[in-house]
Amino acid sequence: MNFPIVVNLYTLFFGLLALIALVAAYEVVTNRLITHAAFFLALVFVAIAGIFLLLGAEFLAVTQVLVYAGAVTVMIIFAIMMSQLNEIKIEECGRPPLTRRLWLKLVSSQWGLLPLLFAVVFALAMFGLYARAAWPMRALLVDSTGPATTNIELIGAELFTTYAIPFEVASVILLVALVGAIVLTGKEERS
Amino acid sequence: MTAASVSQIPLAYVLIFGALLFGLGLYGALLRTNAVRILMSIELMLNAANINLVAFNQYLSPGYVNGQIFSIFVITVAAAEAAVGLAIILEIVRRRNIVDIDKINLLKW
Repeated sequence: MNFPIVVNLYTLFFGLLALIALVAAYEVVTNRLITHAAFFLALVFVAIAGIFLLLGAEFLAVTQVLVYAGAVTVMIIFAIMMSQLNEIKIEECGRPPLTRRLWLKLVSSQWGLLPLLFAVVFALAMFGLYARAAWPMRALLVDSTGPATTNIELIGAELFTTYAIPFEVASVILLVALVGAIVLTGKEERS
Repeated sequence: MTAASVSQIPLAYVLIFGALLFGLGLYGALLRTNAVRILMSIELMLNAANINLVAFNQYLSPGYVNGQIFSIFVITVAAAEAAVGLAIILEIVRRRNIVDIDKINLLKW
């Protein structure tokens, strides 16, 4: 696997969106206030939707905005509001020694380096894995199926022919999640 | 249309981005103790996996949409998981008024 340096408009915009997504993801993990983390999560989702657009997956980009940025984020914020959660501050309890305090700062404060380090090490490990893998770097299947159709058309056709059964199973999963969420959070009379 | 734009971004960039995002999500899921934040980190990881699926789809079999359909199923399951997970967290908070998973150490209350 090669790592070419390519500078053009697509790469530029990809880098910009990736930077936004990574900074926001870092905030999701490290921000002290969980409400802010939830809003940063929405930013991550929107940036990833932009990356999907750049990669040519229009339908997925729209789905990402609708489902993730719309539904999941709102659900998380509702859960935070309804439970009135307060994040427990570790720094409050006593005064630990300096090394311990530095360690805590590094691990859990707003500007901890550990998440970044962890992510970079993980990415390097994955890149090593990718570099050893042998995959064809150009297209396996050449699209020769007549006129070019749009992305959403292709997805619709595939979803209702090849993937019809998984599609139905997905609807059952959604129904189970709906009923499960209602049952779990519904008021029950305590005896 | 899509192949023209896709060939402009090297696959390695997308994979590295996905790995970084997954690493951040993994860190959050493993080392934070707030249950809601862990759910958010899991969503981050699922998104990173989606990016990899779409990237491999566009680079290895352009013109087909199998990877994107996998991504749609991942999104479906992620939404269901978020709903049920948040419902469980809400119920725990309602019953015991804690959200720190280190303190949730009983199977039955």
